[in-house]
Amino acid sequence: MIYFIQLVVSGIVVGCIYALAALGFVLIYKSSRVINFAHGQIIAAGCFIAYALTVWAGIPFVISFLASMVITFFLSMSVERLFLRRMIGEPIISVIMVTIGLMSIIDGLIYLTPFGSTNYSFPQILPEQPLVFGGISISWPQVMGVVFTALMFGGFSWFFKRSTIGVAMRAVSDDQMAAMSVGVSVPKVFGLAWAAAGLTAAAAGVIIGNITGLNFDTLRAVGITVFPVVILGGLDSIVGAVVGGILIGIIQQFASGYLDGTYGLAGTADVVPYVVLIVILLFKPHGLFGTHEIERV
Amino acid sequence: MSTNRWLATGNFFTSYKEEQRIYRTHLDRSIFIVFLAVLFIWPLFFPVKNSTMLVIDNVMIAMIAVLGLNIVTGFAGLISIGHAAFVGIGAYAVGTAVTLLGKNHELIVYGWPVMILLGGMAGAAFGALVGLPALRLKHLYLAIATLSFQIIFEWVIMLMSFFDQGQTIAVGRVYWFGGKVLRQQHYTFWYYAILVFLILCGFMVRNLLRTRHGRCLIAVRDNDRAADAMGMHPGFTKVYAFIVAGLLAGIAGALKAYLDRGVGIESYTLHTSIEYLAMAIVGGLGTLNGSLWGPAAIQMLDLRVEELAELSGHYLPAELNLATALRPLTFGLVIVLFLMFEPRGIANWWRMFRSYTKLWPFRY
Repeated sequence: MIYFIQLVVSGIVVGCIYALAALGFVLIYKSSRVINFAHGQIIAAGCFIAYALTVWAGIPFVISFLASMVITFFLSMSVERLFLRRMIGEPIISVIMVTIGLMSIIDGLIYLTPFGSTNYSFPQILPEQPLVFGGISISWPQVMGVVFTALMFGGFSWFFKRSTIGVAMRAVSDDQMAAMSVGVSVPKVFGLAWAAAGLTAAAAGVIIGNITGLNFDTLRAVGITVFPVVILGGLDSIVGAVVGGILIGIIQQFASGYLDGTYGLAGTADVVPYVVLIVILLFKPHGLFGTHEIERV
Repeated sequence: MSTNRWLATGNFFTSYKEEQRIYRTHLDRSIFIVFLAVLFIWPLFFPVKNSTMLVIDNVMIAMIAVLGLNIVTGFAGLISIGHAAFVGIGAYAVGTAVTLLGKNHELIVYGWPVMILLGGMAGAAFGALVGLPALRLKHLYLAIATLSFQIIFEWVIMLMSFFDQGQTIAVGRVYWFGGKVLRQQHYTFWYYAILVFLILCGFMVRNLLRTRHGRCLIAVRDNDRAADAMGMHPGFTKVYAFIVAGLLAGIAGALKAYLDRGVGIESYTLHTSIEYLAMAIVGGLGTLNGSLWGPAAIQMLDLRVEELAELSGHYLPAELNLATALRPLTFGLVIVLFLMFEPRGIANWWRMFRSYTKLWPFRY
């Protein structure tokens, strides 16, 4: 029983981080209907920037964490400005292919840095002893991840509810034409959505980097694990990102906890989310919380 | 061409038959036949190095695969990020036969054309499977379905000891009428074999686009609601787009298995999928000759990049691995730049070149 609870708890913890990673993806999809295949690369970039600032430039971790978020904020805003802005009005299929190209470009750029080939790990800033509650243990970086996810989601829900820009972003995601006619600058909102996505991606990247170490492949894979999360939760739902993230986290933990080693299976945690994804696509394509806009063709 | 939405102005067809014609004039047809004949006889007159022939063979295999990708992405408008997995299915169909029967079994060394068709069938079957969500979904979601198919495929191959965990499964040397195809003739022999399959596949696709089913693909891509209203079934149309794509990819995969004389997972990863996508985009999505230009152009670019990386390897510190960095960088740049500045691809340059030479010295 304790094993089961341990799996659920670590599933929730991992899932929170997935939710944070998925948040940026959902922000972009919600505002501009673009599926961003380069999200994992932005996550990795955020993590590497934080590492470079902390270790190579010797800036305290907290400041470099915030700085990396600011840098990716502007980085992904400029990505939008440079590549995506020109594609407004093109068929959505070309826009998505541009993000696939971007994924490849950022891959190449990261391979140019030492991070592409070497693994690093963040200096130990949190206590090494994990937290233990009655036999269930959680490591400190994971606690940090959960706290940060909660903070981020709290911040963003406040932002969307109360601030003018947030309301404008919701308006654009609801109806671009109507938003434009009341004076919302739609391209600016797209840029902001990308920037906000970059910010959350950096936060997710730094937290994942703290838990698993800085391996480019691991970080990049998170950007792909985001797909099952958002499909399960609904592509355009922020609540869905949280619920989907936690569900996928728990499913992964169950897979590695119960399936691995039986019937000669190994590494099921990497593949079960995608099986779930295909099943969801077949039976409930708009996910748990997504808008039911997908028509049956 | 009925399929060409960039048709130049001034071409007036007076009957449907005229519009559906493959060759506009008898001259066109004879030029094409001469061109095909040249393709068959040139290796007899020029001594070709094996390494050059290998590059040409690989380009032609990529052409078959990209023809399939173009059906699904270019003509039916569904992004497929798992095309390398379909190619891999074809290759692993051969791999499965090898593991079950032994690498020098008669079916594999004598019946290789059958094996290649079987590879195509396997690809088509998996294409149907992956395309199934299309019955309910629009194209954005299908991109994600193909992506997960790619990941599941890689994982299954890496897991199963039946497939040697993705290590290379050796395939025996094939026999032809003249006996065993030896090492010296290997690449030239497969040049001819691949060429025959490429021509057959090219004609298959060209003819498919002339039929009702081919026009269905384009109608569904351009507006699926209108297509639905006109009595087509958009869901099934998308599923069979995936089936045709899977068929061509499977054929390409089986050919690649025979050409490399082995099946290993590293040729069928997500990177290869993106490479195929780059080829299709550079060549020109939704054009037939684009699927031939793209692979050639990307392969040339790839060779140049490799040379550049090798050259710079002498001057740069060893830990900076330029080759791994430059390839994704150039592919990504090529995809993005073509989409931004020439979304019609090289096929459009070819079209402009042709109309220029046809009308020369007049401008209109």
